[in-house]
Amino acid sequence: MSSTQASRIALIGSPNSGKSLLFNRLTGLNQKVANFPGITVNIASGQSLHDSSIQYLDFPGVYSMQAISGEEKVAVEAFISALEDNLLDAVVCVVDSTRLEKGLIFALQVLETCHRYNKPVLIAANMVDVLDQHSMQFDASGLSEALKVSVLPLSAKTGAGLEQISQSLADTTVPPEKFQSDIIASDDSVNHLHAQELAEKYGPRGDLLINTQTRLDSFFLHSWFGGLSFLVIMYLLFQSIFTWAAPAMDGVEASIQWLASVVLPLIPAGVASDFTSDALFGGIGAFLVFVPQIFVLTLVVGMLEDSGYLARAAVICHKPLRFFGLTGKSFIPMLSGVACAIPGVYAARTVESTRKRWLTYLAIPLMPCSARLPVYSLIIAAFIPAQKAMGGLVGWQGLAMFAIYLFGILCALLVTALVSRSNAELRTDLPFVLEMPPYRLPSWRPLIINAWNRSKHFVTKAGKVIFAVTVVIWVLGYFPNYGTSLGDSWLGTMGQWIEPLFAPFGLDWRYGVAILSSFLAREVFVGTLGTMFGIEGAEENFTSLAQQIQDSGLPLGAGAALLVFFAIALQCVSTLAVLQRETGSWRLPLQLFISYSIFAYTAALAVFHLVELLV
Amino acid sequence: MTLWDLTQGASAKVSRFKSSIESGYRTRLSELGFHPGEQIACVMSPSMGAPKLYRVNNTVYSLDDSIASLIEVA
Repeated sequence: MSSTQASRIALIGSPNSGKSLLFNRLTGLNQKVANFPGITVNIASGQSLHDSSIQYLDFPGVYSMQAISGEEKVAVEAFISALEDNLLDAVVCVVDSTRLEKGLIFALQVLETCHRYNKPVLIAANMVDVLDQHSMQFDASGLSEALKVSVLPLSAKTGAGLEQISQSLADTTVPPEKFQSDIIASDDSVNHLHAQELAEKYGPRGDLLINTQTRLDSFFLHSWFGGLSFLVIMYLLFQSIFTWAAPAMDGVEASIQWLASVVLPLIPAGVASDFTSDALFGGIGAFLVFVPQIFVLTLVVGMLEDSGYLARAAVICHKPLRFFGLTGKSFIPMLSGVACAIPGVYAARTVESTRKRWLTYLAIPLMPCSARLPVYSLIIAAFIPAQKAMGGLVGWQGLAMFAIYLFGILCALLVTALVSRSNAELRTDLPFVLEMPPYRLPSWRPLIINAWNRSKHFVTKAGKVIFAVTVVIWVLGYFPNYGTSLGDSWLGTMGQWIEPLFAPFGLDWRYGVAILSSFLAREVFVGTLGTMFGIEGAEENFTSLAQQIQDSGLPLGAGAALLVFFAIALQCVSTLAVLQRETGSWRLPLQLFISYSIFAYTAALAVFHLVELLV
Repeated sequence: MTLWDLTQGASAKVSRFKSSIESGYRTRLSELGFHPGEQIACVMSPSMGAPKLYRVNNTVYSLDDSIASLIEVA
């Protein structure tokens, strides 16, 4: 190991080995995404809390150096190229000491790889706290002697052994060419036999799988209770997104308003003042309001993942989703998409199969996200009477809202079902093999750090694109008449150009402009329309704007067409930006934008004519 | 008999993989512990064709029919 500058230490291990928890323990809040040239995989990097001369790099979890899924291939290639380019000084291979045989199969592969690149390896035998609980032992020094590299027993959960990691790294060596054994077998199974031999000799003996796991599984995966508890947990998840995040969202909004009230009087009236007010506080502010939702959602989904439940939810949903070309692992990203497509796209990383992840990306923008809510509320209030039926049990407006939500979800499933059936390659895919992690109480600190980092990432990465588009929309809406008449602005002129496009389903140029501006974010539609109807603060004043829409003589068919258009069209620049970032290219976001626009347009046209025919 | 035919609570030893299994998957299943000679227990068999839970060593995996029916047990 070089001692002149910060040593770069890679953490590598299989999923559920506790590697990421160890990384969080070792680095605390000092994390950032490491930038490796030409690599699209996320490798977090962080300075050690214990030794400032050490920088840890957290590579994504893989089961084997012989990758089978796209995600694994990228991770393994990233690791190999980091070794090749001499970007690493040493490697820490994290194994779960309670399941030593499985961990060692992978560790032996890592040792062989690191021997080729002449890099020292430290085996971190994690989860010794579980062994302690069961009064079990494991012979770390014996294993170390057999493997000829240091083996450090530790617990990422309790922190035991962590302070010795620097010393163990200094002591460890480059692994020898082959681990010494009497076993002679074919290459395919030799690692497995070696791992078995080592685990038997040095590993803990006995049954570690606690009975509580089986008991909890027989409840959470039970035919009736399983389905019921699944629904209850999902309901609570929704509640958390809307109720827990609400005070923080109000807080963000109030802070922005307060900041605007302090800053705006300092700027002389004119273009600069209007820009600050409309584009900075109005445009950027509108998007910052959603950050608490992303924080809460990341936290709650992280909690479900950490507790071990997410893997069970994937098992429950696998069969129904498979019918629509998806997998059980698509469930959480789609669910997240109901709050906001952005965390949904992030959550899709858990879908290892590239093809299924791609199909999941198709479904997410169609899930009824919260930004569609103000638009739906407005149109429904304008057209559906606020009457109740069946003795006040069913409200027509609520029913309409439910119907349009269901419509979005059905569209998503229809698209994935059709696309997956149209392409044989998308049908045949990785079989479903999912490790069921033990149930455990979540570790809050890393979860909060992760949610914080995710929110920060959202603000810095998607924020740049949102800012750019806000500026463009504002300039188009403000000039050439300095904001005095939107209708005569460049945006208004463009609205009149596109009027023939929306006229077939009964919408005039003002709706065209509102749709155009809603490309920035769907909820902008309400504000833009409100401005054009001459109502200030339309978003807080739905009913009166709804009244204006009613009075303007918009036909019912046009209202239904608008609902359907918003349910399908992908007018969300942040979603496009995040899809670009996650897929590494503009190809998919552009394809989705164009095809969903055509789909939305066609469906809206069909609904307009259908409603006009019936009414 | 295949792994998928194993009823809840029953266990059996892996005898071989069907030849139709992709070699990458055979290797992976071996790495996870599903290799010939290993004792596998079916710990959970939910209704309506949902993936089943199998226990090998100290780990539980969920496998769907597309893969569990390619592993022969005896």
